[in-house]
Parts: sequence; C-alpha cells; structure tokens
Amino acid sequence: MAAVIDIGGLRKTYRSLRRGERLALDGFDMVVEAGQVHGFLGPNGSGKTTTLRTLLGLVRPDAGTMSLLGRPVPDALPEIAGRVGAIVESPQFFGNFTGRRTLRLLATAGGVARTRVDEVLELVGLRDRGDDRVKSYSLGMKQRLAVASALLKAPELLILDEPANGLDPAGIRDIRDLMRQLAEGGVTVLVSSHILAEIELICDSMTIISRGRRVLAGPVDEVLARYDKGEFKVRVFDHKRAAALIAESGLPVTMAEDHFVVGDLADPAWITETLAAHQLWVAELTPLAPDLETVFLELTGTAPEPGRRLQVDESVLPPAGPPRQIELDEPTPDLTVEPTVEQALS
Amino acid sequence: MNLVRAELERLLARRFTRVLLVFMFAAFLVTFLTMVSSTHTPTPAELAQAEQALASDRINAEEWYRSCVSLNGGEEARTTSRVIERCGPDTRSASVANYLSQVFVFSTVIRPLVYFLAAFLALFGFLVGASYVGAELTSGGMTNLLLWRPRRDVVLGTKLATLLGTVLAVSVLVTAGYVGAFWGLANSAGMPGTVSRGFWISLGLLCVRAIGLGLLFTALGFGIATLGRHTAAALGVIAGYLVVWEVGARIVLAVTQSPRSELLMLSTYIAAWMNGRVSIYPSQCFDGACGSAYDITFGHAAVAFGLLLAVCVGGAFVNFRRRDLT
Repeated sequence: MAAVIDIGGLRKTYRSLRRGERLALDGFDMVVEAGQVHGFLGPNGSGKTTTLRTLLGLVRPDAGTMSLLGRPVPDALPEIAGRVGAIVESPQFFGNFTGRRTLRLLATAGGVARTRVDEVLELVGLRDRGDDRVKSYSLGMKQRLAVASALLKAPELLILDEPANGLDPAGIRDIRDLMRQLAEGGVTVLVSSHILAEIELICDSMTIISRGRRVLAGPVDEVLARYDKGEFKVRVFDHKRAAALIAESGLPVTMAEDHFVVGDLADPAWITETLAAHQLWVAELTPLAPDLETVFLELTGTAPEPGRRLQVDESVLPPAGPPRQIELDEPTPDLTVEPTVEQALS
Repeated sequence: MNLVRAELERLLARRFTRVLLVFMFAAFLVTFLTMVSSTHTPTPAELAQAEQALASDRINAEEWYRSCVSLNGGEEARTTSRVIERCGPDTRSASVANYLSQVFVFSTVIRPLVYFLAAFLALFGFLVGASYVGAELTSGGMTNLLLWRPRRDVVLGTKLATLLGTVLAVSVLVTAGYVGAFWGLANSAGMPGTVSRGFWISLGLLCVRAIGLGLLFTALGFGIATLGRHTAAALGVIAGYLVVWEVGARIVLAVTQSPRSELLMLSTYIAAWMNGRVSIYPSQCFDGACGSAYDITFGHAAVAFGLLLAVCVGGAFVNFRRRDLT
C-alpha cells in the first residue's frame, strides 16, 4: 500500500524570549498507509498537535521531510489542500455566525459547492441546528461543526485532532462510525485521541509518540498481540493447591487473594484438563489480554504510581535514532514494531 | 475570486463592522441635524443688512490694506510673502455670506466638515481593519482558512485587498452622501456661498485626501493587528502612540527645544496631507526674527505614509509568512 502520510526525521524547537527553547519534535517519524484509520497517540505535550500543525503547514519545521498524498509538504500544500480535510485541536468559530454560514464561507473560499454544506450538516447530526448561532452550541456541537468543516471537501485524507473532545457518548459513537464508514469508502483517516478504547476499536494501525520521538508504530492488533503475555486468570475453590499444581509444570504463577494468574499459556484447555484431573473444578478462566491503555501507559511511562504525581514532559524519552529521509520513489517501509519497544518496556 | 467573495461576505457579516457603520452614520446624522438646527434661509432684510455691513467693512479694510501695502513696498509688492504676511490677504474678496449669522454657508463651512469626515473615516477604517484580522487570528478562523488555502501571502493579501476595497466603497458613498446632504441643506436652508469651478476641484481633492487618510488608517490597523495577533494590539499601539509620543514626547521635545521636532509627529503629516501644506514656525520666533519657518508638504506626507505602511503592512506580511500558527 502507498504511504499517504510520510514523515521522516521531523524536528521542531519552539523559541520564546520568556520561556527559552522547548524541543517539541526530535527526529519524529510516521507513516500512514492508504485506506487505513491510523491512531496517533501520545501523552499531553508529547508533540502530536505540533506534528499535525507542521504537516498542515501551520508550523515551520526545523528539519525533516514530510509528504502528504505522495507530494512533499509544505511546498505542495496549495495543490493538495483540497484533498485533505483537517481539524487541529478544537477549532473556534465566530460565535455570531450560524453553523451553516460558517461552513458556507469555508465552502466559498475553497470552491466547494454549497450543496455540500447541507450534506455534511446532516452527516454530523447538525441538520436541524445549522441555522443557530455557533455561540449557542455546546462544546460537542462545536466539535461536530469542526468535523463537518473537515468533511466539506470530501477529502481523500482526513486528519482529526481529538475529534471526540466534548462529545457525548452518542456523538463519540457517531464519529467512530463515520470514521469507519469513510475508511471503507477509501478515505485515509489519521486520528489523534486520548480515548484509547476508541482507538483500539476503530484503528487499523497506530503511532505512539513521547517527548517528540516515536515510541512505537504498527498495526493495532499486532502491537496488542506482542504484549500479550498469554496470561489467564484462574479461579477455583482451592486456588492454592491448584496454583501449586500448575506451578509444578514450570509455568509462571502469580497468586492473588481468591485467584491466581498463569502466564506463558498457549492453550487454556490445558488448565481445565490438568486441574480436572486432580478433582479441581475451574470456576473462572479469563484471558488477560492487554488493552491499548495498558500498553500505552507502559510504553510512555505514564502509568500512575502510588505517591507519585506525574508531570507533563515526564513521559518516556525514547532513544534517538538517525533522522530517516524517505524519498518519494522509495518503497514504503514495513510498519513493524520496532526494537525500541523492548527498550522502552525494560 | 472565491476567496474574495468569502472574505467580503465574512467582513460584511461581522457584527462589529455593522455596528461601526451604524455608529458612523449616527455621528454624521447628529452633525447634519446640528447644522440644520443652526441655520435658516436669510430674509431680504438680513441680506440687505449684511450687504451694508460688507460695503462698510470693505471700505475700511481697503483703506487699511492700501496703506499697509504702500508701507511695505507698494502695489508691485502686493503678491510678495512680506505683504501677505504683514497685511493679510486681500479682503476685497469677502462676500455677503461672511456677514450672515446663523446661516449655513456651504463654501465656508464644508472644508472643516470634511476634516471631521476624514477623522471619522480614519477611525472607522482603523477599527474595522484591526478587528477584522485580529478576530480571525485569535478565534482560529485564520487557521481554519489556511487549511483550505495554504498560501499565506494570498490569504492575507486577499483579506487586506477586500478590506481596503470595502472601506473605499463605503468611504466614497459616505463622502458623496455627506457632501451632498450639506449641499442640499445650503440650497434649502442656507446659502451655497461662492462656489466656482476651482472651489469644486479643491473640495473634490480634499475629499479624495480624506478617503485616502481613511484607507491609510485601515491598512495600519490591519497591519498592526496582524503583527500583534490581536485587535487589542492595534488599539494599544495607537493609544500608546498618542499618549506617549504625540503628547509626552512633544512636551519633552519642546522643553529641550529640539529642532524640527514636528517632523517626528504623525499628526504633522496628517495635517499636511489634508491641507496640502503645513508651515512650521520655530518656537519663540515670530515674524522671521529667528530661524526660518519650514513647510511640510503633501509630498512629504505621502512619503511618510509610505514608509509607515512599509513598516506596518510590509512587516505584517513578512511576519505572517514566517510565523508558527500554534
């Protein structure tokens, strides 16, 4: 598959007289393939929004290469802007304009047919509130309007920064369905979000960033499989005797108050068979598959610890790699979990 | 073209623009009604009295003028600056209109009224220009737009061009309505006065300069707000300039008797722009007794305005092209 977004060795340092220098991106790499829903994850202040803003020409990078839809950016942005829909953070709109007028102005500026305005208002559920002033909108409705503005162009690539921000559960579900629907229609979606359960549900692949560097990139199911330790929670009446029996076979066993956890287990049927042979009847056998939240917290070093208040910028600093320069005609590299993951976990 | 249409719609749909337009019309209406309430059509008796007063004054003035001219070089020197400075202008050109009270005489009153119009156009342009781009920058509207039209020069340039075009159109309409209303008033309840072809040309040029001043301040408001990323930046700069420089620095420069300090004041160039020429006399010197007076002309003002625009508007474009929109 062709890379729709290709970022290599991106660096950005913000400089201000008051606060001095702050390194936002430090040789960041990311590849998003066509037709995918790609999750872009990272702790607060890790460089997600800077990456998206840089990609969209709003921030000037210090170094690195970027391409969108196979064209180098920011140089080719004017040519491809009509094919890229984006919202970056929570966009603000003029409160005194109605939602419909806001979209109509953007449609006029971008040369999009005005009939498209009604289509996207319908799509994001604002059909009946389109003639209300934006200042009367709730946060979630403003977010829907922002998504509508990004969809106005019928884009090939959709970049959404925190699209679920402020949305109610129904809105989150709507946006999720919309993203899947768009991806099925061939639209590539890059979505940054902190709602990891959503990312796990809708994304095909993901990139995790921490302190301006890539921590991990790859298909979501492969990443989760990689961190699946084959653990099962086992509950039986005499769990101490059962644990001892299992431990005899050399499998790692962790005791809890009323159950135990077995690791490195390929086939859970072996548990039931072994324990049944000793008249121990399994009451619960639950696979402890890692969820994205657990993996994310581990990889970024942001898992809560008792007695420690984690500060922004205290997430994991992945080792720096040499800046990767990707030429347009270079084959798209495989998105595989990188060795840095193990280092980050250790 | 699409961008121009969108920008025009955005500008005209802004409530601030509409409120300022209403405010400007209200101010002009008040001015007009004030004039209406203080004028009347002169009666034949008033006209006769004025003509009598004019004839009497003219005899006295001519007598004084002739003696003054003869004391300062005679008839041959009538047009020299020395005679003009000492004897004043030839008062034989006075008309009956000058001897009528509570009568609106168009030819004598319209110039100061156009100065007032110029001040209002400048204020209107500055506020609309500053708020138009300032609100876009602070609200994120500009960021939204750049996601659609990534060429920053084109976006900012279109905004400025649309703004200037709109302010120009509004200014022309307002100026025509304003002068026309007073011309109508003079004809219906006052006097037109002496309105030669030269008068109309001069008045037309004055109106053009008033509109030009409005456009200058529009561009300045736009440029400063772009540089400061906020409407308030433009308001702060103009308020700071007036208090710190036009008042504070003027006092300091006067105390230190700095030579030609008027050259450093924007107000000097505005006056020169509107009048065509401003003569500055050195302080503590009269009648050419020490130093010499110097003139700031319309041309000097144009150069000063050009430099100011280059710094503010040119700077805004350079800065906006390089700026990170975070």
